[in-house]
Amino acid sequence: MAIKGIFLTLLRRPIFWKLIRPLLRLYVSKERNKPFTIWVDFLAETMESLWRRSKPIIWINSFFPVEMIYSLGGQPFLPELFPAVVAYFDWTRGPLLRGSEKTSTDLCSFYRCALGLLEYGVIPKPDLIVTSSQICDGTKAFYDALSYVLGVPHVFIDVPHADGEKAKVYLRKQLLEFLETYQERFGGSFNPLPLFNAQRAGNLMWEIAELRKAVPTPFPGTEGMSYVAGMAFWANGTKKHLKFLKALKEKIKAKVDRSQGYLPKERFRVLWLHHIRPYYPNPIFEYLHSRGVAIAYEEVNYPWWPRGRFENWMEYVIEKMISNPWHGPIQRRAKLVEELIEGYKVHGVIHFCHWGCRQSTGGAGIIGEFVKKKGIPYLLLPGDGVDPDNYSPGQTLTRLEAFVEVMESKWKGGQV
Amino acid sequence: MEGWAGIDVGSRTTKAVLLLEDGSWFSHVVLTGADPQGAAEKCFKVVLDKAGLDQNVVLEVVATGYGRRRVPFAHRQYTEITCHAKGAAFFFRDIQTVIDMGGQDAKVISVDGAGVVVDFVMNDKCAAGTGRFLEVMAQVLELSLEEMAEEALRAKEAASISSMCTVFAESEVISLIAEGVPRDKICWGLHLAIAKRVAAMVRRLPQGKNVAFTGGVAKNRAMRKALEQILGVKLLVPEDPQVVGALGAALLARDGTRCK
Repeated sequence: MAIKGIFLTLLRRPIFWKLIRPLLRLYVSKERNKPFTIWVDFLAETMESLWRRSKPIIWINSFFPVEMIYSLGGQPFLPELFPAVVAYFDWTRGPLLRGSEKTSTDLCSFYRCALGLLEYGVIPKPDLIVTSSQICDGTKAFYDALSYVLGVPHVFIDVPHADGEKAKVYLRKQLLEFLETYQERFGGSFNPLPLFNAQRAGNLMWEIAELRKAVPTPFPGTEGMSYVAGMAFWANGTKKHLKFLKALKEKIKAKVDRSQGYLPKERFRVLWLHHIRPYYPNPIFEYLHSRGVAIAYEEVNYPWWPRGRFENWMEYVIEKMISNPWHGPIQRRAKLVEELIEGYKVHGVIHFCHWGCRQSTGGAGIIGEFVKKKGIPYLLLPGDGVDPDNYSPGQTLTRLEAFVEVMESKWKGGQV
Repeated sequence: MEGWAGIDVGSRTTKAVLLLEDGSWFSHVVLTGADPQGAAEKCFKVVLDKAGLDQNVVLEVVATGYGRRRVPFAHRQYTEITCHAKGAAFFFRDIQTVIDMGGQDAKVISVDGAGVVVDFVMNDKCAAGTGRFLEVMAQVLELSLEEMAEEALRAKEAASISSMCTVFAESEVISLIAEGVPRDKICWGLHLAIAKRVAAMVRRLPQGKNVAFTGGVAKNRAMRKALEQILGVKLLVPEDPQVVGALGAALLARDGTRCK
């Protein structure tokens, strides 16, 4: 217990993160994965900044444009993303139990875990919460409750489903009100550079998405769903994200130039739907890879917003929020799924459905029908992103194995 | 005489089928217990004894079921989804759907004319719609599974069972007993409740007229009646539905050997 206490105390000290940062960098650089090293360095740098508390700490949800917070001079924190990092170390059981003491066990495990981590004191309390209606259904209720408990204001941005001029006016008004609230509360000047950096990042993400269409699959979607998505949600707008994307692009391009896949022998390429995957240790991807199944692309990294440069940063933010394919009519997502199936030449689609997450399960039936009509095998895979106790290895593997068997029958043993 | 074997290591029972080159076949079922490997070995030995043959005549063994990786003498493994589809297609031509209700899960499989899996759905993480659910309810009612099915078949009407969570349904059944609801009504209500749940899974896949019912639960006549009533089709049930997965595995072993 004493060791645990010391460890938890250490995690709250900025000096701990400052000292450990070069060591972590050195340790992960052994993997010779430059983008991953940048991600780890970003995390350590962010934790140091959070615990130094020299900037206002702003809790945001995943689809709120993080670049706006950097432009305002705030330090963003994503309670929806951080539990995935904790799950990677298989440390979510304790926080999940602790979080369940405060709320219903029906609440999404990412939120419960974040609540538990807050109770443990390993994540800093916010100075302000700002979230958008994209894309989790539980977002508003959870952050409203948290706002009440912590005595911290919660600004909620209601993104309209329509994308016409009226919708843009409605969204612009809310974003301007948020800027006003922020500056009244914390002062500081507005630096548009992170918003322009984010636009450059968007263009790089497009280039990477194009490179990843190569056959055989040059980059594992499993990594796409972890640190690549982590950087996109948390670091977008920073110079570090640009550096990260350039390194990632180089790494993928080198593979494409050599026509080298990430698996020794690729038999099938699949598309992974949903923004998350199970992050705790599990045999799902090891099994798929052992059967020659490559995760060719993952929905989460699709850069949906328009390419190019917006002179007016507000227009960029509005376009980005309003064109989100996971928000609004299901046809938007179906169109995206179609584009990804064709673009990445996949043999199958795995639709992960996180327990407690109504966002993905809600449209699963319609998306499933849509995929099957295109003659592509589709697997609905229920599970949990961060709760290892909500995961049945036997049942999950049976589903995956049967899905591979279906692909083998459909595609006559596999093809590249 | 040479042959092929299929071993289906299920959560409750282990089944073995020995398929001979003349098309005849032998089967055996044992309880899996806590030793799936031992059960598989025992079952295999008995089925060989029944045929009066030695293990050397078996050209290939395919294992299936949740314990498929615990069969050291198997050459290959397939999921029970593929095996039940293959096995059901052996008995019935032109089936479109296979309902497999086993000890720990229920599966609905959409198949093509050759018994190849096109799509499938499985029950979610709870025990509803499985053999285990029925066993727990039979215990609460102090009946054997066969007696529970007989009671259900005698019932003129069904008690309403709203919960499909095994624990909640158990409390519900206890309450119904306490209220004096006749046992046959409760039994029929339980079967109908499960059938509704499984029927919802069936409707998630393309609707076919030829529906086969396999797995240990398919031996239960009350469950067949309940499913037929809800689905509005006459189910195709093999003589011994419990061994269909093992037979499918043996057929896959035969196909595999012939391809080589």
